Amino acid sequence: MSQGLDEQKGWALSVWVLKRTLRSFALLVGASFLIYATLRTAPGNMVDLVLGINGTEESRALLRAEFGLDQGIIMGYVEWGLRALTGDLGRSITYSPGDYVAEVAFGAFLVTLALSVLSLIVSVTLAFSLAIALGRPQAKHNLLLTPLSYLNAAPSFVVAIVLTSCINALIYMQLEGGGRMGPIWYPIPTYKAISETLAPFSFAMISISLGDGLFIDLFNVLRAELRAVGGAQFMNAVRAKGAPVLPHMVKNLIVPTLSIFTARLPIVLSAVVVVEYIFTLDGSGYLLLEAARMRDVPLVVGVSLFFIAAVIFMNLILDLVKAAVDPREVTRVG
Amino acid sequence: MNRNTALKALCGLVLILFMSPATAKVFRYPESSKPSSLMPFFIENMSAVRVSEFIFEPLVTKNKRGDIEGVLAQNWSASPDGLSITFQLKPNIKWHDGKPFSAQDVVFTVKAAQDKGTIFGLKGKYRFIRDVQAVGNLQVRFTLKKANKKPEEQFTFKIIPKHHFQSTAITRLDRFSKYPVGTGPFKVEKNELRLIRLIKNTNYWGGANIEAIELMHTPDSNEQINLLKYSGQGAGVQNVIFIPPKSMSMFENSDSVVLEPYHTVAWWYFAFNHKNPALSDISVRKAFALALNREELLEAHLGQGDLLSGPFTESSPYYNFDVEPREQDIEEARNLLEQAGYKMANGVRSKGGKALEFDFLVNKDLPNCQPLALSIQADLKKVGIKINQKFVDNSLYREQVLKQRKFDLTMNIWSFEELEDIYPLFRTSGIRNYINYSNAEVDAKLDASRKENDHKAYKEIMKELHMMLNDDLPYIFLWSLDIYSGLSRRVTNIFIQPYNYYTFFKDWMLK
Repeated sequence: MSQGLDEQKGWALSVWVLKRTLRSFALLVGASFLIYATLRTAPGNMVDLVLGINGTEESRALLRAEFGLDQGIIMGYVEWGLRALTGDLGRSITYSPGDYVAEVAFGAFLVTLALSVLSLIVSVTLAFSLAIALGRPQAKHNLLLTPLSYLNAAPSFVVAIVLTSCINALIYMQLEGGGRMGPIWYPIPTYKAISETLAPFSFAMISISLGDGLFIDLFNVLRAELRAVGGAQFMNAVRAKGAPVLPHMVKNLIVPTLSIFTARLPIVLSAVVVVEYIFTLDGSGYLLLEAARMRDVPLVVGVSLFFIAAVIFMNLILDLVKAAVDPREVTRVG
Repeated sequence: MNRNTALKALCGLVLILFMSPATAKVFRYPESSKPSSLMPFFIENMSAVRVSEFIFEPLVTKNKRGDIEGVLAQNWSASPDGLSITFQLKPNIKWHDGKPFSAQDVVFTVKAAQDKGTIFGLKGKYRFIRDVQAVGNLQVRFTLKKANKKPEEQFTFKIIPKHHFQSTAITRLDRFSKYPVGTGPFKVEKNELRLIRLIKNTNYWGGANIEAIELMHTPDSNEQINLLKYSGQGAGVQNVIFIPPKSMSMFENSDSVVLEPYHTVAWWYFAFNHKNPALSDISVRKAFALALNREELLEAHLGQGDLLSGPFTESSPYYNFDVEPREQDIEEARNLLEQAGYKMANGVRSKGGKALEFDFLVNKDLPNCQPLALSIQADLKKVGIKINQKFVDNSLYREQVLKQRKFDLTMNIWSFEELEDIYPLFRTSGIRNYINYSNAEVDAKLDASRKENDHKAYKEIMKELHMMLNDDLPYIFLWSLDIYSGLSRRVTNIFIQPYNYYTFFKDWMLK
C-alpha cells in the first residue's frame, strides 16, 4: 500500500519536473526571440558600421548575406535557433570578428556569474553570522545597525569608485616614499587581464557585497527567518529532547535562504554589469555593452542568452530544492 | 595539512595575487575603441590603423622628412610614361612564422584586395593598379590605370602573406584577423577580449628597442588619464594617444609625463543638407556662418587650434591664407535673413509659413559634442534660427546621416591620411558628398584638378577651390585642433607620425 503511494508520488514529481523544465525552455525561446528581433529592427546595422560611406550596393548585399542579415526576422531567428540547439551560437562579426559566440560569451559570463555568486555568498555569510551573533533584536543593536544600513545604502558603483580611489592613493603614497615598484594590478582600474591578476576581481566582489543595501537587506530577512524558526513549535520538541538546536534550524533555513538568493541574483547581476566596467573586468557586462554598440547581433543575443538562462536555471533549481525539502511544494504549485 | 602550513599557503597566495611586481620593458597604451581587425584590409577605426603599424609593412613609406623611403622595397624604377613601376624587394625578409617573404606575397595582396569576394570599405585604395606580376622572387611589376609623376607614393598599403590563405577572397571572419602574421617588428602573442599583447619579432630585419607592447581597450577617457598619471613607477600606461583639453593641466608640470603635440590632417565642419530648400539658399548659409562665434566655441569646448576658412588645415600646402575666416557678426546675419524674406515671429524667423527650424544630428562619439551643440544652438537663436539637437550613436549616425541622408544639419570631422583629397567631398554625387552639394563651377575645378599632373598647378587649383568653397559654404569650415599625446618620460626617441602614429615605433626606447 505504502509502496504504491510512493510510486504515485514519484510520478507526480517527475511530471512536475518535466513541466517546470519545459516552461523554462519556452521562456528562454521567447526571451531570445525578443532580443533578436529588437536588435534586428534597431536603427543602424553592422554592414553600415563596417563599410561606412565607401561601400557599393553590391558589396553591401554580399556582406548582408555573409552576416546573415539577408533573411527576414522570423526566418533568421528560426535558422539561428536551430543552430543554437546544436550548441552553435554563430560567430561574432564586428566586435571580435570570427570568434565563436558560444566561446566568447560563455567565458565572459563565467566571470560575471562567479562575481555575482561569490558576492552573494559573501553577503549572505556575513549577514547570517551577524544575525546569529546578535540573536534577539534589542534596542542597543540599533547603535550598530543604523549606521551600517546608511553606509550600505550607497550604490555598489559608488562603493567601487571610493574603494579604488582610496587604494590608489594609499599605494601611491607608499611608492612615493620608497621608490619601489607597485603591485602588478596597480593602479585600479587596472591594465591587466583577469588571467594575470585576481585583485580587481576581489575588489569588485567587495564593492558588490557592500553596496546597494544588499547586506542589510539580507540581514533583516535572515534575522526574521531565524526568529520564526527559533520560535516554531517543533523547536520546543528539539530542545526538550536535548538535541543540538542549530542543525535543525539550518535545515529549515535552506529554503528561505535559497529563495533570497534567487530573488537577489538578477539584481546583483545588473549591479555587476556596472561594477565590471569600473574595474575593467572582461565580463559579460562589458561585452554586452560593446557588442550592442557595434550592433554585433549574434554576440549580443549569445551574451543575453546566458544571462536569461542563469536566472531561469536558478529558479528551476530553487523549485527542485524546495520540492526535495518540502514535498508539499509539488502539490501546492502543481 | 596542519594549521600552520595552511596559514602560510594562504599568505603566499595573497602575496602572489596582490603584490607581484609589474614587469618592466613592456610598453602599454590604452585605446578608446577596440581595433576593428588586425587584418590590414579590414581596418575600420584609428586603433586598428595604429596597431597594424607594429605588425605589417608596406613596400614604401614616407620617412620623418616626408620623403618616400623603401620598407619592403629596396628600390624602384618607374617607366617614363608613368604607367608602370617595378619594385626590387629587399632580400632575406621573413614573415613572423619564419617563412620567406617574396614577390608572390605582393601579387597576392593586390589580387586579394581587388577580388570581389573580399569586401571592405577602402577598396578604392587599390583601384589604381591595372595589373601586377612577379618577376622572379624579388621583383614586382605593376601597370597602372593612370599616368602618375610619382607612382611609388601610392604603394603604402600593407602586404599580407600568401601562404596563410586558400584563395584571394578573404572574409573578415578569418582567423588571420585575430592572429595575423606580418613582416613587422612585432608579432601578436595574445589577443584576448580587451588585451592585445605583441612581442618583439626576433626575425625582424630592422631591429626594435622595446621588448613587448600591450594594448588595452579602455573606453573611458578618465580611466586612460588615471593610468597615465601613475606611470611613474612602471605602473599604468606609457602612452595615451589623445589627452582631452580639460586634463592637460594635470600633466603640464609633471615629472613623469610629457605632453607631445602632433599635427593630424583633420578638420571639423558644420554641414548643411543642400536638399533642404531653405538651406540651399546661400543667404541662409551665410547667416549661419556669421551667427557662429567659432573662436569662442573652440576655446570653450575643445581647447586650442586654428580657425579655418576652407577645407584644408593650415599646415597643408593647399591652404589659401588670403581667405580670412569669417568672424561673428550677428547684425549682418540678421540683415541677410531679413533681405532673404525671413521675418521674425516668436523668436523664430519664417518665410511663407516655413520656419527656420532644423534637425541637428550629432554623433555621440564626437568629443564634447553636447556642450558644443548647446552653444551652437544659443548662437543661432540670436539670429532667429531654431535647431533641435539629436545625439545618436555611431551606427545610427552612419545609417541615417551618411547613408540615408536624413538630416538638416550635422557637425563632424574629416581625417585624411596625408594630404586632403576634397574631390569626393564636394563633387556632385562624389562618394563622400552626403550633403547633396552640387555646384557646376566647383565641379569643373575639381575635374580639372583630377587631370592635373603638375604639382604647382594643382596647388593653385586647390587654392582657388578654397576661396570658392568659403564663398559658397557647402560646409561652415570650423577648425583643426592642436592634438596632444601623453607619454611617460621613460619613453625616449619619440617620433609620432600624425596619422598612423606608430610608424617609427621601432626607434622608440623605454628606460
